[in-house]
Amino acid sequence: MEWMSWLSRLTPRGPGGRSSRNVASSSPCTADPETCLMVFENHWRQLSWVLEQQEPSGCSDDLTAVRNHTDQMLCLLAEERPGEVGEGPPGTLTSSTVPPVGPILGLVVTENVLERVVQWHLRRGLDPDSQGALLKLFEMLIGQSQQPLLQHKAVLQPLLGLLGACAEPQLGCPPSLENSLVLLLNQICVSMARAPAVLELLFRSAPVQHGPTNLLIFSLLVPFIHRDGAIGQQARDALLLVMATSASNQGVARYIAENSYFCPVLATGLSALYSSLPRKIEVRGDDWHALRREDWMGVSSLVLFMNSLEFCNAVIQVAHPLVRSQLVDYVHNGFLVPVMGPALHKSSVDEMIASTAYLDLFLRSVTETALLKTFLRFILMHRHDNDTILDTLLTRVSSNSRLCMVSLSLFRTLLSLNCEDLMLQLVLRYLLPCTHVMLSQRRAVRDTDLYGKSADKFLSLIPECCRLSVLPSAEREEEPAFWGKVLNSPSSESPVHPKPSTPSRLALFMRQQSTALPFTPSPTETVPSSPRGGPSTPLSPDSPMHPVPEGLDWESGYLEYLRDARRGVELCSWACRNWSAPYDGEDPSPNTAPLLPPPPTSNPSLAMFPEHFSFQQGGGEAMLSTQSEAVERLISELLDGAGPGEGGQQGPGEGGQQGPGDSNGQGISIEAFTQELRELEERVRERSRGVGDPDSEEPLPPSPLDSDLIGNGAGAGVEPKVVGSAVGLCSPARPLGQPSAQPYTGPFMVVLFAKLENMLQNSLYVNILLTGILCQLACYPQPLLRSFLLNTNMVFQPSVKSLIQVLGSVKNRIEVFAASHEDFPAMLRKAQRYLVARGKVDWADSSPMGVPTLRRSDSLVKSRKPSLGDLIMRHTNSPTRARHAAQLALAHVRDGGQSLHSALFRGGTGGGASGLEKQVEALRVKNAVYCAVIFSEFLKELAALAQEHAVSMPFLQSHDTEELSSVLNF
Amino acid sequence: MNLNVTFVLSILPTVTLANGTGNTCCGTDNLMNLNPFWSMSTNTGRKRSDGEEQSGEQQQQRASPARPSFGKKQLPSIPKNAVPITKPASPAATAQLANGTHASYGPFYLEYSLLAEFTLVIKQKLPGIYVQPSYKSALMWFGVIFIRHGLYQDGVFKFTVYIPDNYPDGECPRVVFDIPVFHPLVDPVSGELDVRRAFTKWSSVPHGLFLQLDSDTALRNHNHIWQVLMYARTVFYKINTMEPLNPEAAVLYDKDVQLFKSKVIDSVKLCNSHLFDQPKMDDPYAISFSSWNPAIHDEAKERMFSHKRRPEDHQKGLQVSGLSWVKPGSTQPFSKDDNPPQS
Repeated sequence: MEWMSWLSRLTPRGPGGRSSRNVASSSPCTADPETCLMVFENHWRQLSWVLEQQEPSGCSDDLTAVRNHTDQMLCLLAEERPGEVGEGPPGTLTSSTVPPVGPILGLVVTENVLERVVQWHLRRGLDPDSQGALLKLFEMLIGQSQQPLLQHKAVLQPLLGLLGACAEPQLGCPPSLENSLVLLLNQICVSMARAPAVLELLFRSAPVQHGPTNLLIFSLLVPFIHRDGAIGQQARDALLLVMATSASNQGVARYIAENSYFCPVLATGLSALYSSLPRKIEVRGDDWHALRREDWMGVSSLVLFMNSLEFCNAVIQVAHPLVRSQLVDYVHNGFLVPVMGPALHKSSVDEMIASTAYLDLFLRSVTETALLKTFLRFILMHRHDNDTILDTLLTRVSSNSRLCMVSLSLFRTLLSLNCEDLMLQLVLRYLLPCTHVMLSQRRAVRDTDLYGKSADKFLSLIPECCRLSVLPSAEREEEPAFWGKVLNSPSSESPVHPKPSTPSRLALFMRQQSTALPFTPSPTETVPSSPRGGPSTPLSPDSPMHPVPEGLDWESGYLEYLRDARRGVELCSWACRNWSAPYDGEDPSPNTAPLLPPPPTSNPSLAMFPEHFSFQQGGGEAMLSTQSEAVERLISELLDGAGPGEGGQQGPGEGGQQGPGDSNGQGISIEAFTQELRELEERVRERSRGVGDPDSEEPLPPSPLDSDLIGNGAGAGVEPKVVGSAVGLCSPARPLGQPSAQPYTGPFMVVLFAKLENMLQNSLYVNILLTGILCQLACYPQPLLRSFLLNTNMVFQPSVKSLIQVLGSVKNRIEVFAASHEDFPAMLRKAQRYLVARGKVDWADSSPMGVPTLRRSDSLVKSRKPSLGDLIMRHTNSPTRARHAAQLALAHVRDGGQSLHSALFRGGTGGGASGLEKQVEALRVKNAVYCAVIFSEFLKELAALAQEHAVSMPFLQSHDTEELSSVLNF
Repeated sequence: MNLNVTFVLSILPTVTLANGTGNTCCGTDNLMNLNPFWSMSTNTGRKRSDGEEQSGEQQQQRASPARPSFGKKQLPSIPKNAVPITKPASPAATAQLANGTHASYGPFYLEYSLLAEFTLVIKQKLPGIYVQPSYKSALMWFGVIFIRHGLYQDGVFKFTVYIPDNYPDGECPRVVFDIPVFHPLVDPVSGELDVRRAFTKWSSVPHGLFLQLDSDTALRNHNHIWQVLMYARTVFYKINTMEPLNPEAAVLYDKDVQLFKSKVIDSVKLCNSHLFDQPKMDDPYAISFSSWNPAIHDEAKERMFSHKRRPEDHQKGLQVSGLSWVKPGSTQPFSKDDNPPQS
């Protein structure tokens, strides 16, 4: 995507490649220049005799002769070295600056050889064969010539004559010659890039009849912008060279902006390409939440789109500001608004997931500030049906798991931009009035956690039951030495703990670490007694290091968190150093806070999802609502989607991307899993009903089981306040009439906190993403945001829920859960080990895990869909090991006891219930146990962030040019 | 035990005067111009022994092979007989201590509090004062004061700050000059400055003396070490003879200023004549002076003036960041004028 890479891609076709071909063709005239000149003159004599025939006979002999002579002569011309100084004959356009031309070129110029040849062809009527031959000849000549040619009118004019012919409607360029044409144009652009003066010549000396389209090479190239394969690439490369060369040429830039279709073609081409993208992203692996490179490289339509998007990005990087701003406008008005906007508002869940993931991918791929600005402006400002895109995206966070995860992932990308405008709209404008804090507290907004009080508070929320691993060895747990020790205290050789090998919480999930750890095949189960449990410690069991209690591994990663936090805070405050204001409660003044937008009263997209949770803020407690009708709708939707006769739902523009029976092979998807879970419940219910009251009930009563299982999975008696009752769905945004009347921290915070409060029921992956986003937010140095999230001493208005409150509530729930499961400690330890193993699994390069094949899904996929290649997300052959792990995590529900993961929890759910009940219970238990693990780590992260904020130094604003140069990056 | 020290180094990238505190050194002061032949450098000669180094490396390698930048930050165990340094344990804290997890974070709090104090010192940009925590303990800071005018003009006084180990709940930090300066408030034998008189109640409500300075952030409810440093500077400009530690100086100042002045001049000369002595404390981060050596100091100076602080690994993924199109003074997104086409 970088300009440099574009250039480097060009080099193979540069002079180096050429000359090697030169040698290979072993031309006849490696002889001395004089001989060459004589040969050339000889050819020319004979050729000019043919050319001078008054009436072209049309006889093929003439044609053959002309071709032969031309071939020979142009070879000689290409081989010729520039003349000695002082030799240059007159007739060159810029004779003073160009080295003197060789004698052959001199002859070509004075006799106007090329012009006469081309004219002869044109007079005769150009057949495709000759046209192709001429294109190739010129391509050879320009590509191989030892001396600059295009400066000479005698070369340029005939070239333009030929190209003009290719642009003429009646002749045009037959498809078979497109490759030659684009290659020639590419060569011209390469020469032009080497000698920018040529651009001006090309621009000025166009034949008059072409009028406004006088940059011929340009108009010829534009139609190839979006082409697939090498030809498209060559065309884009060539265009990019024109862009770069013309970056400082106002005339050419104006021409491109005003007289060419370049920008509209480029931008609307994105729209066309987008419409052929798969509408549905099918994933196996319940952790999938974003399109990674490996995900889309195999999907040709997406590759095409990304090529064009990268080209847009590159053009914006190098082009003249006029072209840049026009292109940016076209991307906004010709792609984002008319295509991306509606796509994000599609009504089917699959399409929402796909479009959200695409938007996320695009945002991650774009590097040019101007283009990013357009995307952000679209997201923040554009209203589609009265709602900004941002509003829409916010509502998705509260939806069911996959859509939620994809949306969270998009927000993670957005937050990583450190964009003031975004943060203003998302959070800061709600905090600006300072109405969320008690009046007396406003001054404390800028306080940092100088004495570790907040950190202490966060850490104190780690549930008792999650500290179990250290308990048995409390007396062995020596207090770590530290720098602050009294000077005279004996510094000893006391054994040191091995550094915690805990991958930080993020590493568990993001797996972007390049850390290559040796990975032993059996991650956990075979060496349960290994003190450090983790395979990453190369310490042999009989190492002199004293054994560390199991679990310490997990417990003591605090230093890692401090380091991550330091890095996070530092990078974030560096990135924010050029913001317009410090957002410290005084600047901008609370009184200038913008009028907050009225929250959406009803939310159409939310109503789609039966299993989403929505929360009423005022009550303080989460109100869980499920809707049995909606459940049915969802089930039928899922069934439709999964049924063999699907297709009714798919839009007409589905194209050839989606083969029949696609969604059948969806393997383990969250959606399918949800459906399956419901079926299970159904059967459980049926069964219990069968015992008591046989077949008298209507099919699907709004059952308490629903909310109990899905909503309140923590099991009976955990949180009686959570009731699955409310029929009305409410948006996370709380109505607010006057901004100042009721303090409101904005829909983003509300939805995040609501989701967080529900942690115990969230899937592991949702929780990892969710806590990751909160930590991202907590890295921001702006006191308003920092104090809201991290200052635990802050007193907020009663109606404002604080992070610490939410965390406290989660803590209680975890503790209640733990108390009701006597084997919680064992499960917790297993979950920890599983997560550690999972964190490492991706950078293990062997494939040691005897992956229990997901018999059902895999074989299903394979049997039904032989042509998997082009379809997105069908990683039959390249599943990362992480994906395996993810599948394993899910597989136990299906395969019952077969997988590693289910082994972790085997026996965890005693009781004589049926197998089905067991499985459902297992899922609830699993979520809760993982939640307990993640929660504890999250608290350490927050504590570390609070501490790091206190010791971080502000960065100075930069108005200097170093930034610019790093952005331009030539 | 040195591993812990290296940890601190990584935690504290601003610790060396040569680069980290560039602001302090170059911003408000013209140290270089005033004293062209002096340069301050930290005595980094003494390093860990090889064996220790190695064990550290191993530690590091085993733990996180791909993260060299953060250095050896292993927190080793404190010996059992070491004095516990955490805050005096409240009943709750003891309970946590007993179950082993929570209390282990205690050391981080103290260490980070001290780092935060040091950060505040840097932010304050105190004129003519430079400090640097010691290599061995965060509770000991080395410092030097340059006096620019007044009776003590041209004085360059090295000192050490001792922070009580029950900070911040303990007493106020002590300031001890390397050479006892002739001053009413400086003990003529120990060189200790009477700080307590200015901070009668450390860590309590703001002290009147510094209320007006207390402008910036987070400083309202507690005393801070930068205030002590500020006080140590102030005593040389505003002489106070009440309840002196050096009665002779106090009496002379009140009765015979001329003699006092000449004694001060002698004292300043004495201090300055010992400027190039080896640091009193054998510590790699002790402040030592040497005469200007272009081979060493030119480059260091150059770096000081050209240094631009960047995040440690800002290269990756940060080409586009810190986007803002908000017009200063506005709270509307994209309120900045559309950037005019630049060439």
